[in-house]
Amino acid sequence: MAAETDPTFDGGSELRRRKLLGQVFEGVLVASTLVGVLALVALFVLIGNDALGPAEADASWFLLYFVTLVAPTSVYTLLVRRDEVASSINGLSFATVFGSLIGSAVVYVVVDSVRPHDVAIYLVVGSLFPALVLAYNRITGGSHYTGPALPVSILFGLVSARILYPFIIPVISIVADWILFVVVVTGPVAAGLGLFVTSRWSRRYGAVTAVAVLGATLATAGVAITQGIDPALSVVLVSVVAGPVAVVSLDTFKRRETGRYGLLGPWLLIGGIVAGAWLERQLGIEGLETWLTPTLLLNSWSSFRPEQAGIYPQLVGSVLVVGTMAVLSFPVGVGAAIYLEEYAPSTGWRGRLATALDVNISNLAGVPSVVYGLLGLALFQNFFGVAPWLPRALGLKPSLVIAAAATLGLLILPIVIVSSQEALRSVPDELRQGSYGLGASRWQTIRNVVLPEAVPGILTGMILALGRAIGETAPLVIIGVATTTYSAPEGVFGSAAALPLQIFASAANSIPEYRTGVVAAASVILLATMLIMNSTAILIRNRYENN
Amino acid sequence: MSEQTETTSSTAAQRPEVNTESSGGQFEGKTVLESRDLDVYYGETQALQDVSLQIPEKQVTAMIGPSGCGKSTFLRCLNRMNDLVDTAHIEGDVFFNGKNIYADDVESVALRRRIGMVFQHPNPFPKTIYDNVAYGLRVQNNEVTDDIIEDSLRRAALWDEVKDQLDTSALDLSGGQQQRLCIARAIAVDPDVILMDEPASALDPIATSKIEDLIEELAEEYTVVIVTHNMQQAARISDKTAVFLTGGELVEFDDTNKIFENPENQRVEDYITGKFG
Ligand SMILES: Nc1ncnc2c1ncn2[C@@H]1O[C@H](COP(=O)(O)OP(=O)(O)O)[C@@H](O)[C@H]1O
Ligand SMILES: [Mg+2]
Repeated sequence: MAAETDPTFDGGSELRRRKLLGQVFEGVLVASTLVGVLALVALFVLIGNDALGPAEADASWFLLYFVTLVAPTSVYTLLVRRDEVASSINGLSFATVFGSLIGSAVVYVVVDSVRPHDVAIYLVVGSLFPALVLAYNRITGGSHYTGPALPVSILFGLVSARILYPFIIPVISIVADWILFVVVVTGPVAAGLGLFVTSRWSRRYGAVTAVAVLGATLATAGVAITQGIDPALSVVLVSVVAGPVAVVSLDTFKRRETGRYGLLGPWLLIGGIVAGAWLERQLGIEGLETWLTPTLLLNSWSSFRPEQAGIYPQLVGSVLVVGTMAVLSFPVGVGAAIYLEEYAPSTGWRGRLATALDVNISNLAGVPSVVYGLLGLALFQNFFGVAPWLPRALGLKPSLVIAAAATLGLLILPIVIVSSQEALRSVPDELRQGSYGLGASRWQTIRNVVLPEAVPGILTGMILALGRAIGETAPLVIIGVATTTYSAPEGVFGSAAALPLQIFASAANSIPEYRTGVVAAASVILLATMLIMNSTAILIRNRYENN
Repeated sequence: MSEQTETTSSTAAQRPEVNTESSGGQFEGKTVLESRDLDVYYGETQALQDVSLQIPEKQVTAMIGPSGCGKSTFLRCLNRMNDLVDTAHIEGDVFFNGKNIYADDVESVALRRRIGMVFQHPNPFPKTIYDNVAYGLRVQNNEVTDDIIEDSLRRAALWDEVKDQLDTSALDLSGGQQQRLCIARAIAVDPDVILMDEPASALDPIATSKIEDLIEELAEEYTVVIVTHNMQQAARISDKTAVFLTGGELVEFDDTNKIFENPENQRVEDYITGKFG
């Protein structure tokens, strides 16, 4: 009726007021959206400023890096964004270069801390039996059902490695570390790359690739020895980084007609930084007062000389604890999710039990981490004190690494379970029906149809869980992990350490450089690790959602 | 497994009296599947009421009726796919070659190896074409040979279209090809019976007619039970037709010609002539 008396359709003052109100409301909503993001930006600015110290740098420093780094990468980005082929090649190239760099760091830290000898024994002896099973499958063309033979053979291999361990260890103790690195790292990588090239090109190229990776690794190790440098790190770098990067780049180069320049992305970035650093030194420009240095990454901790302090022990400790946690917790979490989604009935008392479990798992996700710490203290630490005979009877040694890993494992369990459940639930029921309709059992259906489809989602959840665990502090403090560690832990039965604990301890150090410099730089590393993990998880999810 | 499900028994005790409302249930040929007084409930609601019918060997038997009348439910009882629905509850018996498939000693997995199924929406696995056809053989622990794969694809009238791309993903095929792949997958394990739940309802007319031709060919070797809500389709391809009406009742079961030309039951006639449905 208002419209009838209002031929201009401007709605009158009443409507205008409502419209204004609506706009104000929208503005409030936008502001609430921005709060979190702005806080994150502020965080990065603050700790980035402390860690990098840009205030100390000359104006010419900024100009230098603009020329070597910012300008080339900006032009490149503009070019690549217009070209779909190049941009997909660019993504692949970045993933390969930085993925393999991170991979090499993790491999080096793990093999180094668990001792290359042990890894070699378990890997070589442990893979004998699975290799036999796979060979049998291959010879028979996969036509015979081998079912659980593979997992059983893996278990069998690991057990026999454990039994043979005391006999082998004196023999291979005389072998130099770097040779064992070649066995446990270069061997599998060369074989894997060889198979990859064989599948894409030909058997001959595959063999050439494997030999080339092995040869290049040995050659670099030789050079390192003559230069008096420890060859172990170069062995890992050449086989884990140079090998895959070369193979992926060559493969892409030969396969693609256009957009090949997309391969350059990571090299422009790395080259820009290296060239900038070199020129900076040559020209004597006053650079950043940065705490984010190789010293910080590679040195042992020092509580008195901030410029000497390094977080290598804490990095090794974090990788060790979180890695052990993954081994302990992921199978349990995925197993629980499979039970709840695929097996648990929806009716009857078992159905009600499953529903109750389901609801409470979500509740667990909200339990404060301090409380998990208390639980870990009671379950995994005091347990060894209260009933010391029990672990001894089981042949277990008390281990703070395992206690810490188990505690964090409980903490992330709900994350793993819930995200795996979601992944399983998103597998269309029609696929399950199709499988059952062909006479597959429930386990065959899960194994052959459901799990392969759910793997990307499950992986995403695992990576998010790792990101959560790597930053946890309180539970580790409570179960008694040392907050300051001076040397790298050795294996799962050594001492435990974790990066966030060192940050926690040093934030109260009386020397101001610790509080403003080292802590900030260590936090940047922790944050970067988490961001990389989370973005990897998001990438995996997006990639598979699109397919 | 084969012992349980393949025992042929045609003793008088296990032969039911013909129980359809029409009297036209006298079949020449052997009965492969037979339901007796079958009631199905989902929770409290009843989806099938007292359904008894006999499905003859190596013929096409069609189930028609308005949507929601229990056709799929009936089909899923024949190979115990309803076992997978927690809320489903079944009373009555289903005999497969004379053996009660709801007896305690029958493994539903073993049963489904003899009674294959093709679904409404093509549901190939996200694997290669080859692996899709080989899937049933593998899970049944049978030998996979290239000959079996080729033969199955040929019989599903798909071989010529895919022979050069067996290693590519089955998901790259068109909907009609995917459905024929699902049929190839089902016949690769050489079942006795193939159940099809509206196999062409998600396909275009050309793909539909290919599937229909295929079904008629399959009936030379297999017993085919097909659910359809398309009456013309039932009339074209089936030998026998069962008409279900709302409430999960089997109203009439007879030769297809008889059902379409001269049904006994007034409600069936109304349904066929489009007065409701
Ligand atoms: N899984 C299920 N849970 C509960 N009710 C179901 C389920 N499947 C089917 N129904 C019900 O059973 C009745 C028959 O369904 P259905 O056999 O699918 O009919 P049709 O295939 O003839 O369309 C419908 O009322 C339907 O809602
Ligand atoms: Mg249906």
